[in-house]
Amino acid sequence: MTTKPYEYSKGESVMKKAISLQRFQTPLYLAAFFALPMLLGYPAASHAETAAEIMQKVEDRDEGDNSIAEMEMVLIDKRGNERIRKIKSFTKFKGKDRQRIMFFLHPADVKGTGFLTYDYDDQKVDDDQWLYLPALRKSKRIASSDKDGSFMGSDLTYADMTSRNLGDYEFKLIKEDAVEGKPVWIIESNPNERAIEETGYTKSILFVRKDNYVVIRGKHWVKDGNKEKYLDVKKLEQIDGIWVTTEIHVTTKKGKNTLHKTVLNFSNVKYNQNFPEDIFTIRNLEKGL
Amino acid sequence: MHLYRKAIENWFEQLTKLVYKKRLTTIFLILALVGAIASNLPNLKIDTETEGFLHENDPTRKVYNEFRDQFGRDELIVLALHPKDVFDITFLSKLQTLHKELEDSVPHLDDVTSLINARNTRGEGDQLIVEDLLENFPQSQNDITELRERVLSNPLYRNTMISEDGKFTTLIIKTSAFAPSDNTGDMLGGFEDTKTPEIGTAPKRKFLSAEDNRETVNKVKEIIAKYKSPDFPILIAGSPVMTNDLKAAMMKDMQKFMKLLVVIIAISLYALFRRKTGVLIPLIIVILSLLSTLGLMALFGAAIKLPTQILPSFLLAVGVGASVHVLALFFKEFDHGKSEEEAVVFAMGHSGIPIFMTSLTTAVGLASFATAEVAPIADLGLFAGIGVMFSLLYTIVLIPALISILPVSRKSTENEIERHAFMDGILRKTADFATGNAKAILSVSGVIIVLSLISASGIRFSHNPMAWFPKTWEIRKATTEIDTNMRGTTSLEVILDTGKENGLHDVEFLNKLQNMEDRFSKLDRGELFVGKVITLVDMLKEINKALNENRSDFYKVPQDRQLIAQELLLFENSGSDDLEDIVDSQFSKVRFTMKLPWIDSVAYSRFIKEVEAEFENEFKGLATVEVTGLATLLGRTLGAAVTSAGKSYLIAFAMITIMMILLVGDIRIGLYSMIPNLFPIVVALGIMIPFGMPLDLFTMLIGSIALGLAVDDTVHFMHNFRKYYHEKEDVSDAVRRSLHTAGRAMLVTTIVLSTGFFIFMFASMNNLFNFGFLTGLTIIMALVADFLIAPALMKVIDKPGAGYDN
Repeated sequence: MTTKPYEYSKGESVMKKAISLQRFQTPLYLAAFFALPMLLGYPAASHAETAAEIMQKVEDRDEGDNSIAEMEMVLIDKRGNERIRKIKSFTKFKGKDRQRIMFFLHPADVKGTGFLTYDYDDQKVDDDQWLYLPALRKSKRIASSDKDGSFMGSDLTYADMTSRNLGDYEFKLIKEDAVEGKPVWIIESNPNERAIEETGYTKSILFVRKDNYVVIRGKHWVKDGNKEKYLDVKKLEQIDGIWVTTEIHVTTKKGKNTLHKTVLNFSNVKYNQNFPEDIFTIRNLEKGL
Repeated sequence: MHLYRKAIENWFEQLTKLVYKKRLTTIFLILALVGAIASNLPNLKIDTETEGFLHENDPTRKVYNEFRDQFGRDELIVLALHPKDVFDITFLSKLQTLHKELEDSVPHLDDVTSLINARNTRGEGDQLIVEDLLENFPQSQNDITELRERVLSNPLYRNTMISEDGKFTTLIIKTSAFAPSDNTGDMLGGFEDTKTPEIGTAPKRKFLSAEDNRETVNKVKEIIAKYKSPDFPILIAGSPVMTNDLKAAMMKDMQKFMKLLVVIIAISLYALFRRKTGVLIPLIIVILSLLSTLGLMALFGAAIKLPTQILPSFLLAVGVGASVHVLALFFKEFDHGKSEEEAVVFAMGHSGIPIFMTSLTTAVGLASFATAEVAPIADLGLFAGIGVMFSLLYTIVLIPALISILPVSRKSTENEIERHAFMDGILRKTADFATGNAKAILSVSGVIIVLSLISASGIRFSHNPMAWFPKTWEIRKATTEIDTNMRGTTSLEVILDTGKENGLHDVEFLNKLQNMEDRFSKLDRGELFVGKVITLVDMLKEINKALNENRSDFYKVPQDRQLIAQELLLFENSGSDDLEDIVDSQFSKVRFTMKLPWIDSVAYSRFIKEVEAEFENEFKGLATVEVTGLATLLGRTLGAAVTSAGKSYLIAFAMITIMMILLVGDIRIGLYSMIPNLFPIVVALGIMIPFGMPLDLFTMLIGSIALGLAVDDTVHFMHNFRKYYHEKEDVSDAVRRSLHTAGRAMLVTTIVLSTGFFIFMFASMNNLFNFGFLTGLTIIMALVADFLIAPALMKVIDKPGAGYDN
């Protein structure tokens, strides 16, 4: 199959609806963790799709209403020292706004520490975040606009996890290839200034599986410190008929040197659990699990 | 002994005959050798980095590298601004533009920190606000008043970003600790080797090179040049700038000296010989020796460092000596009617032993540094020693070969005698004066030695690269000014390792850390002070206060392990990566940074010991203590220099004494002949005190170098003296004839050599001034000692009829 660049034109109805786009930024670990299920479908591959169309399909999957998941993060520094953090999270969509609450399970000293986040679909509205420190017995609202900082000490940033506008990017299909036997599109994503400012990435390369539109690999060029970040989906499982990435490796490198690495393992992933609405409140944050 | 000597002289004569005949082959072989070695010259590196003073496997350097690997580079570029008013919208917006430009265009950058992006974590009501200080840029006078209040009341900013009086503000530029690694390569690749590193194996990475540093410093200087104006004065300091400026000054000086020295040597040679060949041959020899030596350094990867910069001038000056002695004799014989070949064979036969011995003693004096713990001093000793042997080799083989192919003009002996009559008269009078007033000369010398020794006992040590710059230089002025107003431009680092994961969450540990911060941040002993302490408790207190509605009574370490853990988690999660610079990812190690002014390493050394002891005592059983940072490198360099110099002096003295004994063939006379060798060094040490010169990395070299050189005159004198004394057993006659034969060459080599060192007095840097002045003076005193003390000694110890050999 010959490869030719597919230029994305802004006029193309990319933004039929504003969607949260983290799936193309960080392949799908959020899918399990923050209730973004992959729709298992058989994409129409009858005609060559443009890069923008592919990314649209990546985004257009049904995200499910709510989910529960446990996540283990293994943080590995450049010397190979490991730290383990475990978090349990509940996520629910209220319209297009996402609400999520998470609690630390491990290590013991921080057990019960909780974060409550309202991630608004409207780009103009800042997200709301509250935290609760059990040892302080107080919850606090956190006002911070810094999105490219590390999420819980991992190689992921908050920006990796918040909504973004597809219109801020230009996509180009640069190659068709296979990763571990599965055919993929390799798509280059070029953000505009605004998106660079927000994510800290100056360019990305995404590997999208052709059979299920799951982004299974991503490489991001990080502006700050001239680093690169690699995301690699190691395990993809079907849970409740939904494709879920259950093991992801995120590695930050400078040239050939690994600076830091995070291994994310997801377990007890459950969708559509019908938990009560008031779970996403400060009162519940303070009450804990 | 006598027969042995005869055999060697004979060997020199035969060799000279052979070379004279096979002149073209000889020249070809030598050029091929020089060409092969010199082809490495393009790889010759220049390195003025502070850690370059220590060997790569030096324990202090290893600890420092480990530290840099974990926490990043501690050497910071400091820009200090002193506008009319820091809290002024126009100024702040210009500062913002500058900050942004530095961030965007400085290569090898890690971080720029200023008021613009200062971490500003605070509590307002039930809110925790985490933002950059000037994230919301002030629009009105009200905003400005509020900002001033906020900045001046935040202890974290004091002496880091704003001076105590609020008049100075800084931009701190932190560069990456590592050289850039290859980033090009497969755009789609890089996934394969994202393996987890083995535990405990820090990846081998190259630290930022001098060249990378130059790129960074030059870019910063270029940018600030655009912004600098009377309303926007900018000072630049910090050790990256210092090493860079040292390098620039050194390169300029080295080139200047080499050119100057070649001219001086040419003039001296012409004055002595009045012949083109007399100028050309020695110059060819020294230049080839220099090329060979530098080529060899490049081949072995030895960089030119601050102390090694004296090597080129040194080799030029020293290398001339041997050929001057041979040529002086050759021209004399040649002018007296001998053929070229006869004259050169005679000259080489006669001077072979002394030039071999003088080169060897010089090389030994230098090589005594080869085991020095200060890396560039070891390099200097080793390579200068080899360089001297190169010039010996080239002298022995190139003089006959070059004489053979170059046309040598013959001067009438009458003219020459007339020309030299005046000089010869002085030499004869000197000889007679020395032997006639032997006891008086020895008494006066004795008094001078005693006085010098008394004076020398007050010698002080020093190692301070900043003091090498003249007081008027930008970098030195800026450093002084920033040290005064921002309380420090460098730092001492203490690394505490609890040895267990989350060991830093321990309340007792953190309380002790707070104790140490309280104790050291108040330290002020005039010249030495701690301008600021930065460590983990500062961040903890900051967040604790912010979480408690900004109440100042919560600016303290929480006394609850879980709260500490949770607050640190919050900090880690707040978007600031400042923790990475202070703790390791396991929270087992913490860095305790003390900001210090740039002062002499002697003071650092003492302070480091004190810090080590206090921390060891405080954290006994809780954590291991390691003190590191730039100050420890400087302190260690000084300590290493002192031990190395002492060791080197002893080695040089012992080796040269043995060689003198072998040369004169008599233990007693050999030992006596060391007196005129030591005299100049003792006097030089004595002179340093009234001139206020310290014993530093450079002046320490003088002892061994001067010993190796001073011996040369003694060797020539003793060699001739022994020979003539053997004929008549008359000391006065032998002295007169010795000075007549070798005296003139000794005088010329002394002029060339001392000038070679005196030109260092024109160096941009103070340390070279001292070094040049003292070494030049020592060499002149060595000649005086050999013209006066040596003959006087021979007269006094003479036992008529005893002879030396039998």
